[in-house]
Parts: sequence; C-alpha cells; structure tokens
Amino acid sequence: MAKTYVPNRHHQGRLRWVILAGAVVMAVVMLIPFGIMVMNAFKSPSDYSSHGPLTLPTEFYTQGLVTFVNRTNFPLKLWNSFFISSLVAVFAALLSVLNAFALGIGRVKGNMAIVTVFLLANMLPQEVLIYPLFKMAQAVHLDNTPWAVIIVFTVIQSAFGTYLLASVLGTFPRALLEAAALDGANRWRTLWQVVFPVVRPTVVVLMIFFFIWTWNEFFIPLVLLTTPDTQTVPIALASLQGDRLMDAPTTNAGSLLSIVPAVVFFLIFQRSLTRGITAGAVK
Amino acid sequence: MAKTRLIKGIAAAGIALLLPLTACSSGGTGTSTAGTGAGTAATGTLTIWDYEGADSAMSKGWAKAIEIFKTEHPGVTVKSEKQTFEQIQKNAKIVLSGDSVPDVMEYNKGNATAGVLASEGLITSLNDVATKRGWDTKLKGALATTGKYTDKGLMGSGDWYGIPNYGEYVTVFYNKDMFAANGVAVPTTAAEFEAALAAFKAKGITPLAESGAEYPMGQLWYQLVLANANRDFVNGYQLFTSDVDFHGTEMTKATETLDSWVKKGYISKDAAALKAEDMGVSFINGKYPIMVSGSWWFGRLKTEIKFNWGSFLFPGNKLNTGSTGNLWVVPEKAKNKTLAYDFIDITLRPEVQNVIGANGGLPIAGDASTISDPQIKAFTADFSKIVADDGLSFYPDWPVAGYYDVLVSGFQSLVNQTKTPAQVLDFIAAPYAEGKKSIKG
Amino acid sequence: MSTTAAPARPARTTRATASRSATSGGYWPYLIPGAIAFLVVIVVPFAMNFYYSLTEWKGGLRPPKFIGADNYIALLGDANFWTSFKTSLAMIVAMVIIPTLLGLLLASVLFDYIGKKFDGKVATFLRATYYLPQVLPVAVAGVLWGWILNAETGALNVVLRAIGVADPPNWLGSVSTALPSVMAVMVWVQIGYPVVIFMSALERVDPELYEAAEIDGAGWLQRFRHITLPQIKPETFVIVLTCTIAALKVFGPIYVLTAGGPESSTLVPSYYSYLNFFPKSKVGYGAAIANVLTVLIIIVAVAITSLQNRSARREMEGR
Repeated sequence: MAKTYVPNRHHQGRLRWVILAGAVVMAVVMLIPFGIMVMNAFKSPSDYSSHGPLTLPTEFYTQGLVTFVNRTNFPLKLWNSFFISSLVAVFAALLSVLNAFALGIGRVKGNMAIVTVFLLANMLPQEVLIYPLFKMAQAVHLDNTPWAVIIVFTVIQSAFGTYLLASVLGTFPRALLEAAALDGANRWRTLWQVVFPVVRPTVVVLMIFFFIWTWNEFFIPLVLLTTPDTQTVPIALASLQGDRLMDAPTTNAGSLLSIVPAVVFFLIFQRSLTRGITAGAVK
Repeated sequence: MAKTRLIKGIAAAGIALLLPLTACSSGGTGTSTAGTGAGTAATGTLTIWDYEGADSAMSKGWAKAIEIFKTEHPGVTVKSEKQTFEQIQKNAKIVLSGDSVPDVMEYNKGNATAGVLASEGLITSLNDVATKRGWDTKLKGALATTGKYTDKGLMGSGDWYGIPNYGEYVTVFYNKDMFAANGVAVPTTAAEFEAALAAFKAKGITPLAESGAEYPMGQLWYQLVLANANRDFVNGYQLFTSDVDFHGTEMTKATETLDSWVKKGYISKDAAALKAEDMGVSFINGKYPIMVSGSWWFGRLKTEIKFNWGSFLFPGNKLNTGSTGNLWVVPEKAKNKTLAYDFIDITLRPEVQNVIGANGGLPIAGDASTISDPQIKAFTADFSKIVADDGLSFYPDWPVAGYYDVLVSGFQSLVNQTKTPAQVLDFIAAPYAEGKKSIKG
Repeated sequence: MSTTAAPARPARTTRATASRSATSGGYWPYLIPGAIAFLVVIVVPFAMNFYYSLTEWKGGLRPPKFIGADNYIALLGDANFWTSFKTSLAMIVAMVIIPTLLGLLLASVLFDYIGKKFDGKVATFLRATYYLPQVLPVAVAGVLWGWILNAETGALNVVLRAIGVADPPNWLGSVSTALPSVMAVMVWVQIGYPVVIFMSALERVDPELYEAAEIDGAGWLQRFRHITLPQIKPETFVIVLTCTIAALKVFGPIYVLTAGGPESSTLVPSYYSYLNFFPKSKVGYGAAIANVLTVLIIIVAVAITSLQNRSARREMEGR
C-alpha cells in the first residue's frame, strides 16, 4: 500500500545521513559477535591457542567444520531439529488458532482469565517441568522420541500464540462474522473461510517465531532425548564442551552451521513480517 | 482455498508422522539380537555410554577394548554412544531411573556424583563381581577409595559401585624457554617455588596462569593445603572420618599463602572471571610461564604448544590433588549386566591399559615400560610415583554436593580481595558442615 | 452495517439470536484440544513440582521424604534467595525497560525516517541485523560475549587499552561490573524482538490519522505521543508482558556467562533453583524456589494483563 507522506519543510539533507549512520553503527555493534564467530569458525585449534579468539585466522581452516559435521553426525541432528521445529511451528499455530477463535471471537465466558491461564505455560521455569515431563514421557514410552519434545513445545509455544491471536481477534470486525452467519456458515467454516484468511499474516509470523524458538531450545530436549540418534542441533553443540576442556574453534564452526538454517528461515519469511503482526486495517 | 491448504498441511504432517514410527526401533536401547546366535556364545546388545573426547587416550583404549570384546563375544552387537558431558552430569539421575538405560556408563567419581547415584539405588553394587574377577586386587589404596560408596553415598567404604580405568593428577606445567630466558631453575622445594614466582614477578612477568571462574583456583588452594596436611586430614576432609577445622593450620596457612600470592601479583587480579579454557590458552600462547592444573591438559598441550615445555610435581608435597579417572558404572536397570562386567574386565587388561598409557592417559594397571614417547613416559612416571606413595588426595569440591560453586565463589573473593583469608574460610566452611550433616546424619 | 432485505421482525430476531449464539456456548469445543494438552504438559507437572517442594529428595529411585513446609521456611532465611530476586529487578530493567524503549525508538527511526528518506529495503535490512541476535542460541552468545568481555584478551579491553584507558575494568570478574555487563549482553540479545513487533505495529497505524494531525499543525513529537503511542498499545502490552516473564525466568545467559558469580552477584532465582536441582541434588528445595518464582511470575503477569484489559475496554468504550 503506497503511503503518501507530507515532507517536512525543515528537512535537512545532512540530518538524514547522520541518522542513517547512527542506525548503521548500531547494526555493526549487533553484528560484531557474529563476526568473531565466523573468524573463529575457520581457525585451527593451535592458531586459536597461540593467538586467541580475536585475530584473523592465519590460514583458512575448514577442518573444524568437517570434524564437527562428522563427529556429531550433523546431518542427522539437522534433520531432527528441522523435524521437531517445523512440526511444533505448525501444530502450535493450529492450536493457537483454535484457542484464539474461541477466546477472541467466541468471547467464551472469562476469556481473558483463560488466556492468562494458558499463558501459564510460558511462565513456568524449565526446572519445574523437567522431572515430571520425563517421568510422564517414560510412562507412555515416548521418552527419547521427538514426539515428547514436539508435544511439550507445542503447548508452550501455543501459549504465546493464543495470547497474541486472541488479542488480535478481539478486535475482529463483527460485520464479517455476522455476514457469514447470515450466509448460513457454521462456526467451523467461519473460522477457516472468513477469519483465518484475514489473520494469516499473523499466523505466519507466529510460525516463524515458533520455529526459531524451538530450534534453539536446549534444556528440555537435553532431558527428553538421551541418545545421539534423536538429539538436536543445540545438544550437538553442547557436546563439544567436555568435562574440563572446550574445543573453541570447533564450537564456533558448529555454531555457524547451526544458525544458518534459522537465519535462512528468518530471511525467507521476514517479508511476511511487514504484512503486520496484527490483523491489518480491514477496510 | 484455506481448506485445501489445511488438508495439504495435515497430509504432510501425516506423512511426517509415519517416519519416526520406522525410526522408532532405533531410539533408546533394546536387546535386539544380532546375527545368528552362535551356540553357546552370548547374544544381545551391549550399550556403552561415555563422554571422553574422540581423540583422547581413553577413547583409544576403549576402542581397543571394544575390539577385544567383539572377538570374545561374536554374537553381541556393541553400541558405543558418545554422550555430552553436560547431559550425563545433570541428567543421569533422571535418565537412569527410566527404562532406556545403557549397560555400562562412564560417570564422575565422588560423593556428589557417583555417591548420589549409589545412595539412590540407580547403579548396581559391583561387590561380588569385583571379588570374583579380581578387580579389588588390581585397585588398591586411593584407587579403590573412589570406587566404593556407602548406602548414604559417602566415598571410601561400603560396596564397590564404580570401576576406574585410568588416573589423573594435578601437576605444574611450565614453559622451559621462559624459565631459561629468565634464569629461573626448576624448583624442588616449596620455598624455591615461591622464589621462582618472585623472580618472574621481578622481571615484570605474572608467573601463574589461573582461572577464578572454574576449578583451577580451588585446586591450587588444595595443593597448598596438602603441603601442610597428612593422610588423616585428607580422610577427615574427604571421607568424614574425623572433623576438619577450617581455621586449623593446614587451611589457614594455605589460604594466607594464596592471598599473599594475589597481593604480590603472582596471580593476575583479572583472574576472577577467567575460565579454565582461558587459562590453558594463555599458557599455550606463552603469556604465563606456569600453569598448575591437571593431566587432562596433557594431550592438548602436546599437540598445540610450540615452545619447550615440561612438568614437575608440586614441590614439597607428598600428597597431591588427583585421583582415579572417571568410573564405569552399571545402571541398576541395565539389561545386560554380565556383558557389562565382561567389558569392564577387558578395560583393565594390560592390552587396553597400555594403549591408554601410550597416549598419555595415565593407566592404573599398565606397564610403564611399554611407553615409547619420553615425555609421556616421564609424565606417567610422576603419576606412578604419587600412587606408590599413596599420595592421591582427590579434589577439594568432592566432599559435599554443590561444593564446586561454593569454592569458586569463595576464591573469586580472594582474587578480588573482597574477603580476608579468614572470611573466605568462614564462607566455605558453612556449606561443608551442612552437606556433611546431610550425608552422615 | 448491512441488513438483509427481510420482514423487520424476523430479521431482528435472526440477527439477535445469531449474535447471541455467537457469543455463548458452542465455542467451547474449540478449546478442548488446547485444554487437554495444557493439562497434561503444564498443570500436571506444576502440581508434581508443588508436591516435590514439600519433600526432601535427591532425585533418584529412592522415594521422596515428606517434610511439609520446611523447604519454604528455610527459603525465608536464605540470603541467596532474596539476593536472587534483587538481581531479577536488574534483569527487568535490562530485558524489559531498556529494550522496549530503545526498541520503540529504533523501530520509529527505521520505519518513519529511514524507510521513508532512503528505501524500504534499507530499513528491512537493518531490522534483520537487529533481530539476528535472537536467532543465535544463548549458549553460543555467551561464549562469544565471554570472549569480548574477557578482562585480559577481550576485544573490548583491547580497544580500551589502545585508546589509552590504563586499567580497563574486569567486566565479568568484578562484583561491581558483572551485573551491568550481563545486563548489556541481555539488551543486545533482546532488542530485535521489540523492534520487529513495533515495526509491524507502526505499519498498522492508519496514515490518514497522521495527515489529519499534520494539517492541524501537530509536530512529530506531538503526533508520536497522541497518535502513535495509543494506536500501538496492544503490541506494547504484548512486548512488556512477554519480556517481563522472560526476565523473571532468565537462566541461559547467567549459566553461560557468570554461573551466578562473581560471588553470587549475578545469581537469579532460576539459576539458584537449578543449582539445587542438579549439582546439589536438593530437589525439594529447588522445587520450592521454582514454585515461589512461578507464583511471582503469575502475579506480575495477571497485573499486566489486567492493565491491558482495562485499557482495551476503555478504548472500546471511548470509541
């Protein structure tokens, strides 16, 4: 949508460059740690020990990446993470839509209280969940499978999704709902043919967040996934930290590899972010 | 339109659902029989969990052990799974109470780790097996102490719960080139050691690489305590056989010495937040001439150091920080305990022990004369000397669960000079007393 | 609002009944999947955790020993416990207050100024860089910042020494600078989140409102205060609530950067709870700490959502 904007009469050419420079400086500050990570990902261990982490590598060392990939069976970990994160993204988004539909549009009795109760899922510190979840997963023989992790994070992420979507759907135009009702649509059809298309951008944003958040989860997967064939990327990264020794260059190589999928995912879908987190001005 | 998308989504999820069902059988451990059971030979699967680095001496030794195991048990599949240290350290308690447990597992030694597992009934008592297979004759003195635990989880007596394979000890690594360049000789007494530190400082070089955010400071302190202590003190501190006075001579002298070293600048005042990794790196790149730390550094130092270096035992000490390496434990819920015992037995055999020894892993039942590399030989000889003198005195954070963090915090105050030595001792005495009470009752 | 061409009375009743049934009953089934999942994954563990907090337990196969409220009584006298909540306040500043304000500023600059004066693509690119820290796993961020803040060899102090600062601080090792350093790292980690959300919120605001105000002679600041801020209230609430919960729960960065040190100056409740659950094997005590933390989070969250509801209701009425 093109927006017309009345230019400021006191516009100064110089000022806009200053502001841009400021924003760029901020961006550089944000990126410095990433630069360090890339530098060390391609550094050999002896180079790192001799010169420290803040120098450019003396030679372009790719063995660290290779070692990491082979030692941790990275492709398998990548697949496990991708499998879990995508399913969580989809299921949690679905669950959020269903919940928010009832709460935001249906205005079920005490809806704001219910939203807050659902948010409890987000409020619980992880330590609270560890022991009980493990015991329950074991009881239903889901321990050491991705499903335990998927179920847990679907619930946790959908708490945020329900909250956001319910807030958004709370301002959904009644006119559209009534028109659909008068057309004879039942609630299910209203949901998928009237409501969902309008909030699709929001749902896509939720899926992005859910994917990235689940991808980076460490603690709960650490407890629920006990063998290397089921483990995810963050656990693979942690495996480089031994009892007393840490392999820094390989850790950086591994980190670089691990964030690539999340970054790519974000860059591809970030255009949807511009379409708005909240239901756009429905005119 | 939205509906077809929904259907497609469900279909995709449905297909994805089928995938893990096929992979399901690989999750966890099971007793899948492999190959054709060859008559009398055992069949099944042996699952081993460990967390040593793939290039470490232990891993190489254990690879050999697996080879030998396979030839002696042709019908058995061996699944060796490398774990994350973090995972095992934190989750062992939870995971071992479940059903998908390994048959034999590497685990840390001490009251706070193996002791807790033993007291919780999570690992099997190995008493009968140890006697039957002669492990208790191979492991004597301090080597046996770390493997035995009471039912309250106190180390040193009670049943055998863990079997060690290798050893570790804290020593003084030094930069020969820097010593030569500054005219400092290798010290042989405690006084000479301090003089060496002073000599470096006089030339403007901070002598000791240290780390206040992790274990090194505590281990240095403990070395100084041991300089003034005897075996009774160690037993009292570690095994609760007698009361320990935190303001007695041993600990007071050690803390005051450490404090004076910080004041004199022998230890960098920036060390409070440095991690062990930082300490190691700064020794390797030649910034500090001396690093007091453990044998686990040996392999990495050998590969990465470019100058002439060596090690010497902490001068003047008969007792040394050190112990056996990590233990093999057999989870109570393991399904193939006999196979586990066979494997443990193999790791104690000379063939395997000598592989560990050859790579600098400090074997406990090996033959040092088979080591060809002179540096490794000397390094191993130092360890053997300590064992022969029964000088292994374990680590300062062992007696009480969670004591590691207490010591780190206490010695950070020392480095930052925010507490006096007496105050530091007060600070670390309280959690010790509390923890001791909860074990001894 | 359109009405259907039908006899007056039937139409009114149809519409009336239609809207009544739209607001009652019938929507409950949609909550069932969510409710079941929630019950299993959240409520049951929460209850189990409460049970553990009433016991003394090491976490293995031996049964927990019931000791009633002893853990809670011990908590009251535990200095570490109270210190950890003080540190939480610092985390709220670092993870809620600063990111929200700074994020709003950055979002406005990117959206209003840079997006318009330069190119939308520039703004989008900058936004992506601000968000990037959110994509990085906390453990890795901790290692990287550990390298930068290293007192001896860290980039920050190298630069400071180069420009003449004689004795740069021991960022993570000195009690006076450790907490501020951790706070700074948390700002770095968090800022992308409000920036992204605020930018889309700003996009949602109807430009006609701005044009009308400008014609009335309102300057940028006045437009910002009277139009922008009220319009983006929903998103502001979402950000404040989620960041506050995250600040109270924070664990990862502390674990990686300082392990609660030096000398417990960066100890937070979640980390203290973890210390008891795992290294100390005092599961009952750790559960009690976690419980208190959860209750506190619930209270704060309820307070914020009530404010949000009140503000939303006031808006609906004012409309």
